[in-house]
Amino acid sequence: MNLQALLLSLRLAAVVSVLLLGISLPLAAWLVFGRWRGRFLLEALVALPLVLPPTVLGFYLLVLMGPRTPFGRLCQALFGHGLAFTFEGLVVGSLLYSLPFAVQPLVSAFRGVDRALLDASFVLGASRLRTFRRVILPLSFSGLVTALVLSFAHTLGEFGVVLMVGGNLPGITRTVSIAIYDSAQALDYAAANRLALLLLLLSFTALSVVYAVNRRVWSPWSPR
Amino acid sequence: MKSPTHRQSAAATQLLTPFRCHSLQRRTLFLRLGAACLSFFLAAGAASPAAITVAAAADLKFALQDMAAQYEKQTGNTVSVTYGSSGNFYAQIQNGAPFDLFFSADLDYPRQFEAAGLAESGTLYQYGVGRLVLWVPANSPVDVARRGWDALRDPAIRKIAIANPTHAPYGRAAVAALKSAGIYDQITAKLVYGENISQAAQFVESGNADAGLLALALALSPHMQQAGKFWSVPAAAHPPLQQAAIMLKSSPNKKAARAFLEFVKSPAGRAILEKHGFSSLAPAAPPAKTP
Amino acid sequence: MSSTALSARVRRTQRRRGASAFVLDVALRIEPGFTILFGPSGAGKSTLLDCIAGLARPDQGRIAAGDLLLFDSETRTNLPPQQRQLAYVFQTLALFPHLTVEENAGYGLAHLPEGQRRARVREILESFRVAGLAAHKPGEISGGERQRVALARSLVTSPRVLLLDEPLSALDAAVKAEILADLRTWNAQRRLPILYVTHNREEVDVLGERMIVLEQGRVMAEGTPREVLEAPRRKSLAQAAGFENFLAATVLDLREADGVMRVRLEGTAVEFEVPLAHAAPGDRVQLAIRAGDILLATQRPAGLSARNVLPGRIVALEERGALVRVQVDCGARFLVHVTPGAVRSLRLAVDLPVWVVVKTHSCHLLAE
Repeated sequence: MNLQALLLSLRLAAVVSVLLLGISLPLAAWLVFGRWRGRFLLEALVALPLVLPPTVLGFYLLVLMGPRTPFGRLCQALFGHGLAFTFEGLVVGSLLYSLPFAVQPLVSAFRGVDRALLDASFVLGASRLRTFRRVILPLSFSGLVTALVLSFAHTLGEFGVVLMVGGNLPGITRTVSIAIYDSAQALDYAAANRLALLLLLLSFTALSVVYAVNRRVWSPWSPR
Repeated sequence: MKSPTHRQSAAATQLLTPFRCHSLQRRTLFLRLGAACLSFFLAAGAASPAAITVAAAADLKFALQDMAAQYEKQTGNTVSVTYGSSGNFYAQIQNGAPFDLFFSADLDYPRQFEAAGLAESGTLYQYGVGRLVLWVPANSPVDVARRGWDALRDPAIRKIAIANPTHAPYGRAAVAALKSAGIYDQITAKLVYGENISQAAQFVESGNADAGLLALALALSPHMQQAGKFWSVPAAAHPPLQQAAIMLKSSPNKKAARAFLEFVKSPAGRAILEKHGFSSLAPAAPPAKTP
Repeated sequence: MSSTALSARVRRTQRRRGASAFVLDVALRIEPGFTILFGPSGAGKSTLLDCIAGLARPDQGRIAAGDLLLFDSETRTNLPPQQRQLAYVFQTLALFPHLTVEENAGYGLAHLPEGQRRARVREILESFRVAGLAAHKPGEISGGERQRVALARSLVTSPRVLLLDEPLSALDAAVKAEILADLRTWNAQRRLPILYVTHNREEVDVLGERMIVLEQGRVMAEGTPREVLEAPRRKSLAQAAGFENFLAATVLDLREADGVMRVRLEGTAVEFEVPLAHAAPGDRVQLAIRAGDILLATQRPAGLSARNVLPGRIVALEERGALVRVQVDCGARFLVHVTPGAVRSLRLAVDLPVWVVVKTHSCHLLAE
């Protein structure tokens, strides 16, 4: 079995889901509690990868990472090489592609926090940041787990973007989904089946965690 | 480029709940609308009997476009072509995809189709030999025409795109050519793999790779001719890329399919193929160079 | 003492979808001790509290708690809620469900060192008799206990003012009385201004030191509860408070032992029993009755405590959203509000004979 591809995918998923949590927490907080009226635009932007085919994102990323764009030249200057065909490139692509899977659970968790609790916290002298840390975050625990697990699982199973910008390099960009695809293309259905089954089990486990956590309703807290 | 599978996981449905309709009434309305649309499209799909559908390797994109246009002009019959990888087509056709003809980038896949009973025996036609070129963008500092293989050792060439050798014929040819030129081991670290030859071309064309071993058929396309320059890899450097077409058992339209295949074999069809870089079938022995 | 009073002059326009803009326009002075802010829902009571607490921003005005200026539209002062040093107990209490009683109570004391904080929390929990529940979470204690914790959490911060937004409305009378007694005891030495919002008449009777009546964003009356509630009302006040039926009547006789008197509706032979007022037989009075306080029956009701039961006939039915306005002619015209469900189950229709039922104490007397 292609263990290298599996380990690479796990590493990518771990890096991406942790980074995404860091990005999504402030982003989701701003989407929910911010004051700018045009926030819905950003919300729509964040949700785009849900509806766009990965080829669209992959195509734009490929062009963006190329030496003809300022971004591509910046990466060139920063890393000494372009982002395409590198692990970092996959991380960038996956961050964008899995962003809604991290942001949306957080947004709905934050929205679910009773506004009166925030008002109470403010009146009791707590700053916005302390209110976020002490009230919003603990009450959004299941949303946090959901965001983390979903972005992990989604990155683990990512295919289109990796295919478009990865270059299929073993140990660097040949993720498990690409390895499955290669096996299927080469008509090696047995190998494809082994990896695919493993991926399926991993994803099922991850989603089970999400639903288990969300089922544990913390209802005794909420008034009525 | 095929569209990779969409992974709308369970999360997506959860996330899109605002669009979920709640009332039963509305749901049945949607069902009815859906059924109406479906029957409409199904009816539209059953096109006129003279229309045929061709599954073709990615390097045939431009050649088959010309071919279909001329054929349609001559006969009034339509040809629609789906481009993709042979491996995908194999799986699809095995599962009943209603293609009439299959144009492969090699000889093996059509033979496997024949062996698996998926193709009409006796219809296999070797329509040409594919050629490999070393392609660089127009602004590349490397003079590939003069330096040939040596160009790949240039430090300015950091990434070389080829098609995936595990399943793409052009990828296998590229690896064989690099090995026969004796530079494969020196440049392995520079290789990046496109899913098929079109994607390898995309990698170089977008500037993410600095050079590519591409199909001559693609390098001759108007866009690629403008965007870069190339050096033709000697035909002897790799086993000939014999390419063949075959008619499929599942073809719903065998008469029209046979007619198109005849057109491809005709002098007019051959001329189009030659123009797009598919030389006619070379003698079995490695030739000096095809005219 | 007056330096610790809360003074608030607030003007705030709120645009509501589909309705005309709601304007809150009040000027108040809340002295130490209990002040009841009384009024129907939608009168602007909660908005006023939010403005005082800094959770809503007035368009114009000035709010100060003692010598601390909280808001002034002229100097563009607007302290954030964190710096207003107020205690605000919400209708829903808003206890933090993931924190224990002790953590809830200590939430506002983050600036204190651990030891001091614990001591203060213990002391306040004892004052409100919930020290034994310190390790419990809000979901594990009773409604009355939650109420006590919410008070303790707000008051432990030594606020300048206490705002209470109908906090006791869900509790039964006995529990309510106990909690209020403890709050009184606690406030006996501290003499904080306490603004207590309610729309419940009974709470007014229990608490009343001073009261302010707010209706449609304006102060309609102010004074001791006795002054405000028992003095004959002006007709405008009654109209604003949502009385739909105004009837002129002549006093027939007084039955002081029962606390009632009988009147005859003018221009009719209909007699009514109404609460006793300072009046003599032959005096003319005005009755005000809310349309929602009148019952309709399709048969003559028996065994009823209500004293006024009049036969009549429906003359009009008009559906307005969730309520139906029914006009009944009993000699005098009455407007009655019923639900669409009642219309269906009683099969109310124009020309149907019905009985109008009015409790004595649903009849309010107005001065001419």
